[in-house]
Amino acid sequence: MLALNSVSRRYGETVALDRLSVAVPADSYVSVLGASGSGKTTLLRIIAGFEEPDAGTVTLDDKRLDGVPPHRRDIGFVFQNFALFPHLSVGDNIAYGLRYREHAPITDAGEVAHRVNDIIRLVGLEGLASRKVSAISGGQRQRVALARTLVTEPRIVLLDEPLGALDANLRERMCDELRHIRQRLKVTFLHVTGSETEALLMGDIVAVLSRGTIAQFAPASTLFSAPRSADVARHLNAYNILSGTMEGGRFRSPAAAFPLPAPSSARDGTPVEVALRFDRISVRPADTAGDAVLRARFITSEFTGSSVLSFFRTEDGQLVQVVSHLSGPVPETYAKDEVYSLAFDPAEIVPFFERAA
Amino acid sequence: MEIADNRPAASGFAESQGSSSPAQKREREERRRALFLVTPGIAWMTLFMVLPLVMVVYVSFWTQTTFTVEPTLTIESWQRFLSSSTYLSATWTTVRIWAIVLVSTLLIGYPVALFIGLFVRNQTLQTALLVICVIPFWTSFLIRVIAWRPMLGTEGAINMILINLGIIDTPLTTLLFSEFAVLVGMTQIYCVFMVGPITFMLSRIDPSIIEAARDLGAGFGRIFFKIILPLSLPGVVVGAIFVSVMVLGEFATAASLSGRKVNLLGNIIVSQVGSLKWAFASVAGVILTIIIAIVITVMLRVVNLRKEM
Repeated sequence: MLALNSVSRRYGETVALDRLSVAVPADSYVSVLGASGSGKTTLLRIIAGFEEPDAGTVTLDDKRLDGVPPHRRDIGFVFQNFALFPHLSVGDNIAYGLRYREHAPITDAGEVAHRVNDIIRLVGLEGLASRKVSAISGGQRQRVALARTLVTEPRIVLLDEPLGALDANLRERMCDELRHIRQRLKVTFLHVTGSETEALLMGDIVAVLSRGTIAQFAPASTLFSAPRSADVARHLNAYNILSGTMEGGRFRSPAAAFPLPAPSSARDGTPVEVALRFDRISVRPADTAGDAVLRARFITSEFTGSSVLSFFRTEDGQLVQVVSHLSGPVPETYAKDEVYSLAFDPAEIVPFFERAA
Repeated sequence: MEIADNRPAASGFAESQGSSSPAQKREREERRRALFLVTPGIAWMTLFMVLPLVMVVYVSFWTQTTFTVEPTLTIESWQRFLSSSTYLSATWTTVRIWAIVLVSTLLIGYPVALFIGLFVRNQTLQTALLVICVIPFWTSFLIRVIAWRPMLGTEGAINMILINLGIIDTPLTTLLFSEFAVLVGMTQIYCVFMVGPITFMLSRIDPSIIEAARDLGAGFGRIFFKIILPLSLPGVVVGAIFVSVMVLGEFATAASLSGRKVNLLGNIIVSQVGSLKWAFASVAGVILTIIIAIVITVMLRVVNLRKEM
């Protein structure tokens, strides 16, 4: 188990990590979701040992990692830009760690070749071992980077936006393969990404990194259905966040007033934020009555293939997004600047009290 | 289908028959521009390099009398050069000093380049440090050479320091006007030509490559010999070519720091030209050119620059 305990790291005035604590269980796929600049890369670099924390500890199976130089940590790092050795062939890139590591290098050429061949088969690079790394495609380079790390059998593999440099088709294939490879090797993968779909798809557990700390650490489905804070909900890119105040146990903002799913004891005037899923809103004519209705002006729609994303703006200027799936009845088209009623089930609302202030 | 039907019946291909297509025109234009850019260089090289070189080879076969040289072909000058132990030993000295200076500029220059190119990651600071390396070049070549006299002389700085520290009692006389002085002077003057190209190659190495090597468990030695050194080899070769070309053609450092004890091919050429022995000077020139050509060819064999740069 990899554990970070109250780890902080700052660069001058900027705080990259702020007393971050997390425990990554063994043999699991954990994805870390964070916006750019949220400290994702710093987190990985501190675990790998390229940087040391200002405060806090990093332990792996109860042994301190902080203070240990990176080449003695036994942690694999797959770089976003792959960082392949440009002067070496695919095979020599993969063999590098086995041949030249400080601790227990493998000197028997046959043994190196054997292990390299095994890993080449695992990641699907058969027949490319003697190619120069400049003569293979982006997807293949990604595999070389992965193979080069996996062949040294690290205790944890850190992946820094590993799919960021690949095109969309390839990304989906690699997602699948990464999961399979991990399950076969039974090694923990810590996969950092800025894409919520990738994080939810890949991780058995998803950690949301926000403001330099872990905002939520939960299985993907739990995270998606029950984000713990408005911050987390924002990262999922599937929720509208409305802010308002409590009034008689109900949510109230200049644009709307509706009941919350569970009765709240919060006093009147308490600031509150609520999250409302894009795909749980239906668009109705403006005069539709109802308890849970937002009135908003239609701005524009985006056609994304399997669904349509429509943008509305409430009277007080809040942007509301609505997703209509095209598998259902074909959604009607809306008139620009026309006011509509956005109806939803108040039971679907997720309220947040803490951070709203 | 509708879109296709709306297009005019005659496509652009029909019109282009007879006159040339836009692609051909563009190609011709680009060829003309390339020719325009390359012409001055070719003209210059022909006039001032190829022709003189041919002329030097030609003159080396002329007949030399005491005060004149006549275009009657003979191999007398070549015979004299190749049978004289003085000139053959000068050739050997030239090669030996070149080899020592090459090694010492590399040994001193590489660590400097490693520091500037790899450990200093701030580009402004990198440039500043390189400029500092070049500062000695703000004075004339001769001053840089002669400045070694007060350093190495019998009453020079180094002897004074050693005496004051009590390390020696009498001043070392071998420091100045010896081969040692020539080697020190040349190493100092040409070191920067080694530092520059190596620094350039090292600064192009993506730092994450080195991090990746460390992450795979390699210590500094393995990273240096298996990653950093191979990736900087083109810089080493370019630097070595710079240093070689300059050192092999040297005469001034030897003349002013060796006290006439070290005679290089360059010194022979200077003295022969001074006494109007053109044919003989040409022989030395041709031999020097052949040596330089061999050195450069061998170095380019080591690294395929076209592929690496």
